[in-house]
Amino acid sequence: MSDMQIAQKMTARTPARAASARIGGGFVYGLILPVAAALVYEAAFRAGLVQARLLPPPSRIAETLWKLASTGALTTHVVATLLRVGLGFGLGAVAGVMLGALTGSSTLARRLLDPTLQALRAIPSLAWVPLFILWLGIFEPSKIALIAVGCFFPVYLGVMGAIANVDRKIVEVGRAFRLSRLKLARRILLPAILPDTIVALRSGLGLGFMFVVAAEIMGASEGLGYLLVDGQQLGKPDQILAAILCFAVLGKAADWLILVATRPLLSWQDSFARSG
Amino acid sequence: MLSLANLDKVYPNGAHALDNVSLNVEAGEIVALVGGSGCGKTTLLRLVSGLEAPTQGTVSVDGEVISGPHAAVGFVFQEPRLLPWLSVAENIGFGLEHLPASERRDLVEEALLKVGLAGYGSRWPRELSGGQAQRVSIVRALVTRPKVLLMDEPFSALDALTRATLQDHLLALWEASQPTLLLVTHDVEEAAALADRAVVMQPRPGRVFADIPIPLPRPRDRLSPGFVEAKRAVLAALDGSLSQPVGASTKRDSQAPAGSWW
Ligand SMILES: Nc1ncnc2c1ncn2[C@@H]1O[C@H](COP(=O)(O)OP(=O)(O)OP(=O)(O)O)[C@@H](O)[C@H]1O
Ligand SMILES: [Mg+2]
Repeated sequence: MSDMQIAQKMTARTPARAASARIGGGFVYGLILPVAAALVYEAAFRAGLVQARLLPPPSRIAETLWKLASTGALTTHVVATLLRVGLGFGLGAVAGVMLGALTGSSTLARRLLDPTLQALRAIPSLAWVPLFILWLGIFEPSKIALIAVGCFFPVYLGVMGAIANVDRKIVEVGRAFRLSRLKLARRILLPAILPDTIVALRSGLGLGFMFVVAAEIMGASEGLGYLLVDGQQLGKPDQILAAILCFAVLGKAADWLILVATRPLLSWQDSFARSG
Repeated sequence: MLSLANLDKVYPNGAHALDNVSLNVEAGEIVALVGGSGCGKTTLLRLVSGLEAPTQGTVSVDGEVISGPHAAVGFVFQEPRLLPWLSVAENIGFGLEHLPASERRDLVEEALLKVGLAGYGSRWPRELSGGQAQRVSIVRALVTRPKVLLMDEPFSALDALTRATLQDHLLALWEASQPTLLLVTHDVEEAAALADRAVVMQPRPGRVFADIPIPLPRPRDRLSPGFVEAKRAVLAALDGSLSQPVGASTKRDSQAPAGSWW
């Protein structure tokens, strides 16, 4: 059976019911705390217990969101931000996976490349911004470059570490069955590093959202980060909070998408988290 | 025929694991390798499997020198080492990728049936007990029909009852294709239950200490006098191998002063 078919079979074997219960159940639990906090604050505001000038109540934030949405502005900002994160993360993750795989599997490549990459990693990514702006201008390319750099390192480190940590005993099984280097990579290494790689991608994506805010705050005419700056300059805390809320929802949703998309590939895992 | 000729193994760290080991095993013969910890049993198997290269000497199967992992040689590790991302059936078929899918499926089904795991094919390895996992790993090595099967203490992690059952399973599997079987064990009872011959090894450096034939008919009655006698003989040789002044090269010229081993 080819590994593609295996992936399909894995999907078929996962009981859909259990999976959806896990996702759905977790979702409900996760909402309890923020919803309760919002309700309490709203009640306090209605009772006149808090001054709402700097921290507007949930109802006003919802109202702002609704206004932004009905004019279509919200969609524009969200799409702009998502495109930046998507492109930057895509570039950074691809580069991270490729270089991580190279340094993880070849000692020579590790000796040559890793010290340099580690030194680059020690530079705070934001320090690149002036240079990127000089090189790439103040528009999209410099923003995407910043996000890509931010996403690159966790992915690179995760993939390299995952390869280094593959159990020697399992690799030996492949050798005993006389797999070629290519087949060893495809049939043993690739599935073995998959879980760690997914974790690395998730942390890379998290950083992607972090850096998109930085990029947009530094100068943009659209995007959720722009909404933040605009809200600050015009003294609209409700708009700032609306943008923050959008970041929370988008970040969580993007992470959840990775999780759901890859869960069928990991149903074989025997870990603590699964047994719950 | 499997032959080991003057095998020497010195690890890069200087550990002298094997010293001039020679051994011939007839086709279809079952040989148990017995010996104290660190006397080079695992090393010996790894040299035969081609996973490790000897410092000196050669291993050959039917005249063909083994210089790397070879299709004629199968290996069962001490731990099951199943691939956790493959189902039980896919694990068993791991070495059969070159066959058409239908043929592979038939072989896997047949193998599952033989080890009493029919219907377990779609499970994950994590859903198996230790004994079940070890059975899967044994048939994974056997479905490719190797001429020589090497087993490194395959049952050592199991309780006595499971071990006895699996020994019977192993004999039934062996019966079907009758490969040459080289089995490392530290269990004298296991040697007597399975082997045509027990080769007792001696440590520092690893050498063959004694070669004890066990000419008992199969199936073997573990309570019969012959069986008890075989166990006693292996145990006696094992005791001898451990109490030998270490450093003496063979039991024939153990003239070295007893205190000079270090
Ligand atoms: N990879 C290695 N590198 C260096 N020395 C090793 C290595 N593997 C084994 N040795 C040494 O070689 C000797 C033989 O080891 P081996 O594993 O073959 O023993 P064994 O008979 O299988 O022991 P046990 O019954 O405990 O499994 C030991 O002294 C050990 O320390
Ligand atoms: Mg050993």
